[in-house]
Amino acid sequence: MAADTTTDVTEGFGQVSRSVGRLFRALLLAATLFGIVFVTILLVYVANDAIQPLTADPGWHLTFFLTLVVPTLAAGAYVYRRDEEAFQTGVLAIGLVAVALMFSGGAAMIFVDIVKPLTWLAFLVALAVPSAVTLAVVAYDHRIPFAGQFVATVAAFYLSLFGVPGPLGAAAGLPAVAPGVFGLLAGVPVAPAPWLLVALTVGGPLAVVGGRVVGRDRGRRTQLLAGVGVFAVAAVGGVVGPALGVDPLPATVVTSVGLVPPVIYVANVAVNVPEERVGLLVPATVVGGVLVGAFAVDVLAFAGPQSWVDWAFLTSAHSNNADDAGFYPAIGGSILLMVTVAVFAFPVGVGAAVYLEEYAPDNRFTRAIDVNISNLAGVPSVVYGLLGLGLFVTYLGQSAGTVLLGGVTLGLLILPIVIISAREAIRSVPEEQRAASYGMGATKWQTVKNVVLPRSFSGILTGTILALGRAIGETAPLIMIGAPNVKYSLPTGISEAASAMPLQVYAWSSLYAGPDFYNKVVPAGVVVLVAVLLAMNSIAIVLRNKYQVGD
Amino acid sequence: MTENSSETTAEPDGGTTADPTNDEMAIETDVAGATGNHDSTTTPDPIIRSRDLDVFYGEEQALDSIDIDIPENRVTAIIGPSGCGKSTFLRCINRMNDRIDACRVTGELSLRGKNVYDDDVDPVALRRRVGMVFQEPNPFPKSIYDNVAYGLDIQNVEGDYDEIVEESLKRAALWDEVSHQLDSSGLELSGGQQQRLCIARAIAPDPEVLLMDEPASALDPVATSQVEDLIEELAEDYTVVIVTHNMQQAARISDKTAVFLTGGELVEFGDTEAIFENPEHQRVEDYITGKFG
Repeated sequence: MAADTTTDVTEGFGQVSRSVGRLFRALLLAATLFGIVFVTILLVYVANDAIQPLTADPGWHLTFFLTLVVPTLAAGAYVYRRDEEAFQTGVLAIGLVAVALMFSGGAAMIFVDIVKPLTWLAFLVALAVPSAVTLAVVAYDHRIPFAGQFVATVAAFYLSLFGVPGPLGAAAGLPAVAPGVFGLLAGVPVAPAPWLLVALTVGGPLAVVGGRVVGRDRGRRTQLLAGVGVFAVAAVGGVVGPALGVDPLPATVVTSVGLVPPVIYVANVAVNVPEERVGLLVPATVVGGVLVGAFAVDVLAFAGPQSWVDWAFLTSAHSNNADDAGFYPAIGGSILLMVTVAVFAFPVGVGAAVYLEEYAPDNRFTRAIDVNISNLAGVPSVVYGLLGLGLFVTYLGQSAGTVLLGGVTLGLLILPIVIISAREAIRSVPEEQRAASYGMGATKWQTVKNVVLPRSFSGILTGTILALGRAIGETAPLIMIGAPNVKYSLPTGISEAASAMPLQVYAWSSLYAGPDFYNKVVPAGVVVLVAVLLAMNSIAIVLRNKYQVGD
Repeated sequence: MTENSSETTAEPDGGTTADPTNDEMAIETDVAGATGNHDSTTTPDPIIRSRDLDVFYGEEQALDSIDIDIPENRVTAIIGPSGCGKSTFLRCINRMNDRIDACRVTGELSLRGKNVYDDDVDPVALRRRVGMVFQEPNPFPKSIYDNVAYGLDIQNVEGDYDEIVEESLKRAALWDEVSHQLDSSGLELSGGQQQRLCIARAIAPDPEVLLMDEPASALDPVATSQVEDLIEELAEDYTVVIVTHNMQQAARISDKTAVFLTGGELVEFGDTEAIFENPEHQRVEDYITGKFG
């Protein structure tokens, strides 16, 4: 035996064929890349049509290459080598700037054309007053029976929002006696400037949050200073805007919604996370590069690309002339639709998820619901459109194509997705946490309220945002419920008909009005739609990562 | 061993002679009493008493006819190999087993004379009188203050919460370490601190009984000895029932020891000293000396 093996050693062990395995692996790789590659090619093609980068002066490209691309790559590489975490912080900061600015545009649209700032203030106060009453009731809840608490809080909300006797009284034919807080404030003849109202209502709470985040462990004085600083950033638009030729109201919204969150984030890193401070080099280089580059091309008179996604496209309505066609009413319609969808689908979906995860007994009925919710997630969207049309328009007599109708229909469409993702988030709350709460003598309601929901909230939010991303791209249900393809102005309320971004794109491509609509306007609309979608998804992904790291 | 070891075992005769299912128990306690009757001090009446307690998970029997009398204001340790049902027994006391669908309990387990498995007992109300500390430290992702105040909050306890929180943290020997950071998250503490935080949380609403399910098994030796010291101190005011797989730990901190062996049987129950030095059953001796388990 030993003698045999000694002779074999010199000949080695031989080879085992792996050619099938290699082929299999290559096929798997192809399958993985298949979708990504094709969608990327399409998006590059569409973006090229919409933005037309090649129409710019070579000098324009060169300038931005030198002021933006080269310094950013250099700074990025430097920071990445020093500290990978700091690099991520920096990239997140620059992403936050982009996403926040985009959302501030949408918010400015709402404040300029849809909700008057005074109405907004009245609504906030009308909600704040009963909320304070509720908090007071909760603080003394062991002395008040449950029925008393319930009546007091419901009455506070009703009176504050509707007054005496409100819609219930009006339905019974009673005359109005006193307006609620909302009616009172919305009707005051003298009010501060709209931009100041926005700065106070949006910038104020952000200043409180920012002060607490930035001045975390450094005492009240630092917190106060940081808060004042944040508020100054929020209000600066209203003061500086007019000097630059921008209305103070949209300027304030842009500074409050678009600048304040990145400023808080950057200040927090700079003050509280010294080891990642170097990462701020990345956003500083990007912002500086953009500003210097813009200044340089202006001075050197290099023409930029003749992009179809420009200010006029974003702020004007559809026109039969491709050069003048814009996206504004469709963007506004989509924003209103998404708000309605979120208001409807979030509470209903989370409620269903909490019931199924925490309360439902494990029986045949629950299992049937389980299976059917998964099935509902796969029902074609056109069927939901049919449901909206049949139920709300034909049966309940709602007018066709309104924001409310579209929102509820799209809400029904994404409800199964919201339920499934919220259940996933609730299920991921560790069982020990529930046991700890029950072991303390908590009821199921107390456990859900104090332990399960706070712990799973960011996961639920992530799932809801991803589901909203599906709703924002849906076209078929909106066509079914009779939403107008083309609208020339923003809807001013939820009972008005509204278009939406995908619907407007569909209209442009189907009502063939000239080659420019096909080749330029449609791609421009798609680019805006995809940009909004990516912004929403990136928020969801950042939330999810933070949530997973936080555990 | 502490001074507690000099005290005699339970003399349950006064409370249980009328109970026909008490025969085995009486024999055991007689034996235990005989081994430890060098002191005339009597242990208080049993606060927890089980008779003929069976627990099934589906078809499988986890506890087999358990009879036990756990004395008040003492540390009672439950030891035994894995899967012997010691945690199951602990969870019967505050009815945490109710949360498992397949779990079925028969027999009697009474707290201060009231069978907790009676139909008119609300398990939530029961758990407010019986605190529990778990194997893994499981503070809520809230501030240290809110963690300790959790039980006060949900039970609507009257009183000055600041004071109760401070008092509870002091009793849990944690106050000196966290008094300056009550607003920071409970998860930022070390494992041992987290477990003491969980103990503070459990004692804040002032329960009558404190159940501990292997409270030190996830901790390092230093943290373990801190928790052990704490348990001995707590026994002055609380009835502590502790499950542990660590026999030295049971010997160090407990007054009474119950040995559960495979099959969900309570094989021996008595003074800790007697159990460890002179066990009555061969199986218990084998287990304690490490011949199995």
